[in-house]
Amino acid sequence: MKRRKFIAISATASIFLNSYLNAKDIDDEVWDTIEKVQNILFPKTAKMPSAKQFGSVDYLKQNVNHKIFDKDDLKLILEGAVVFKDTFPNFFKENKNNKLKIIEEANRSKYGSLWINTLVNYGIEAMLSDPIYGGNKFQSGWMALKHKAGNPRPKKKYGAKVAI
Amino acid sequence: MQYDVCIIGSGAGASPIAYTLSKEGKKVIILEKGDIFNEKDFSKDEITNTRKDLYNPNLKDEYHVIEEKIDNKWYKFPTYETGWSFWNGNILGGSSNFMSGYFHRLKPNDFRLKSTYGKIKGANIEDWPISYDEMEPYYDMVEKVIGVSGEYTKYKHAEPRSSKNYAYEKLEEHPVVNLIDKACKKLNYTSYKVPRAIISKNKDNRKPCYYSNYCGSYACSSGAKGSSRAALLQPALLSGNLTIIPNAFVFKLDTNKDKKIEKAYYFTKDKIEKTIKAKLFIVASQAVESSRLLLNSKNKDFPNGLGNSSGQVGKNLLFTGGGIGSGVLDKSILKEKKLFQTGLFVNRGLKDWYFTEKFKGGTIDFLFEHANPIRKALISSKDENGNTLFGKKLQNKIYKTFTQSKTLNFEVFTDWLPNDDCYVYIDEKYKDKYEVPVATIKIGAHPQDVKVGEFLAKKAKKVLKEIGAKNIQSSISPLPSANLQAGGCRFGDNPKKSVLNKYCQSHDISNLFVTDGSFMPTGGSVPYTWTIYANSFRVANYIKDNYTFL
Repeated sequence: MKRRKFIAISATASIFLNSYLNAKDIDDEVWDTIEKVQNILFPKTAKMPSAKQFGSVDYLKQNVNHKIFDKDDLKLILEGAVVFKDTFPNFFKENKNNKLKIIEEANRSKYGSLWINTLVNYGIEAMLSDPIYGGNKFQSGWMALKHKAGNPRPKKKYGAKVAI
Repeated sequence: MQYDVCIIGSGAGASPIAYTLSKEGKKVIILEKGDIFNEKDFSKDEITNTRKDLYNPNLKDEYHVIEEKIDNKWYKFPTYETGWSFWNGNILGGSSNFMSGYFHRLKPNDFRLKSTYGKIKGANIEDWPISYDEMEPYYDMVEKVIGVSGEYTKYKHAEPRSSKNYAYEKLEEHPVVNLIDKACKKLNYTSYKVPRAIISKNKDNRKPCYYSNYCGSYACSSGAKGSSRAALLQPALLSGNLTIIPNAFVFKLDTNKDKKIEKAYYFTKDKIEKTIKAKLFIVASQAVESSRLLLNSKNKDFPNGLGNSSGQVGKNLLFTGGGIGSGVLDKSILKEKKLFQTGLFVNRGLKDWYFTEKFKGGTIDFLFEHANPIRKALISSKDENGNTLFGKKLQNKIYKTFTQSKTLNFEVFTDWLPNDDCYVYIDEKYKDKYEVPVATIKIGAHPQDVKVGEFLAKKAKKVLKEIGAKNIQSSISPLPSANLQAGGCRFGDNPKKSVLNKYCQSHDISNLFVTDGSFMPTGGSVPYTWTIYANSFRVANYIKDNYTFL
């Protein structure tokens, strides 16, 4: 039943989200949902930092308003968060195992899997991009993977010239 | 003001002209579509360089249309829909900023492929109007001026050289080369030491390679890579005779009553229209865009586009055929400390089958996978069925991919046989943000390209197997390599069958030259950059010697 509801709501959610997307600020509740879901997608393990530790949502917050951020992706990320919260209101109260099961259930719908795939892709970008973009806190992603960053690292974001 | 020479573009085909003629005292102007960056601006930022591709136009503003055959029907896909960009570096120096610098010369028989192997059904092969001997001094010049490093390999298809060794000593190599050399010896293959357009010691204002581990797809922060910007334009500016206008998108060339080009029209980034007058015009915007400009410049005297009385502008476009392959090396093959050493070059290839008795073969290059961690992790984020992983499965797989093994890739380069299904044309329906029609690129490949690619991939896979690599695989494809473009304005002696004469001068318009890879009737089985540089120096020399008469 819940999966059906997820699909049904997703079909109509974009109507109210169009105006919502135009707002300068995105509700904290939406970010909260994204953060909690990404923390299940990227849990802390013996070797790897969690999404919260590497700053997955901070990365999104600092980059979604830039002109190069894909607006279709942004719409999907935000819309999916609203729909997910509405479809699975108990997610927030559950323990980690049950949260994972709920995400697995959401992932069975086409819309849900698209949303989750997008969150994973941006989570990876946050984990392994230069910290200048707001993720990869304290280089936690690079350090966990023993990745040696390229030299020089960017002094400015998005390829802006160093000296104009 | 009228300049002596106006060059459209600033990459490998453009800059030797600017370098040579500005030093001769000619007033040269470059109109570059992109902005000017220098070494201090470049970093190893994956978001800028590859994830968001920010040194190229946003595809929603400026795009190409790709016409592709699917199930025997042709379909058009604007690249803003697919994300398959055919831009390769819209900044000063063009794509030469972002090349890996695997430098290969063509060989004498590459200049006479038709004479060597005869006609191939379905392919439009033509011999070049010049020989290797005419190009050799300029290949040699590139080694010294652009800077080529390496160690000469003697093997059966080695081309004649006027200098015994490369101008620069070889770059430092990763220990995996010992395994490749050993495997090749056992298989009775010649392990070819691949020269690179990367200098290993200081040259003028350029510093040597500092082994950043981020080379291909990234502009160089030391100037070691032989980009036209670092190697040619920076010294050319010192002449005081070179002017560069950045962010100048040339959309039309116009002719006068004498049927010579009089001026170039360009848009600034604020869409303000401007013009430049010159005596000579050099088009070198990379093959696809050069054909686009000539076709879009049609007027009453040239109703099919400039220099197109033959109807050949845009035709016989070339990419390189082939594909890629890989094998996974773990700590059982090389000790961890050696395996995970970063920044060192592999610089090994195979050219034993560059020519075979019955067919033209090609080149294999070995290289470690690019350092880009985001890309690597994204590939790891899928299971064997392509489904997205999450939770501990995702985290563990990413960790294992980065810390337990390293992927050794190989690239296969074959001739892209020129054919009637691969060309550039204009479909007025598709326009960019300037309302200028974009290039539509039909990308049909000749079936022999894939056959040769698969033949070579088998040889490369034998080397990986001999090394002990696991999960060995390859993917040979008829799809083009968007970053390796040539053809479209092939040169030749017959004005009815070619666009340019042997000096890359238009048969129709005497003050028009095309000096990027467009001139090539066949491309050889290698990346084109060395040949484009050499040919542009050759043409520059011709213009220098004949300037008064042009």
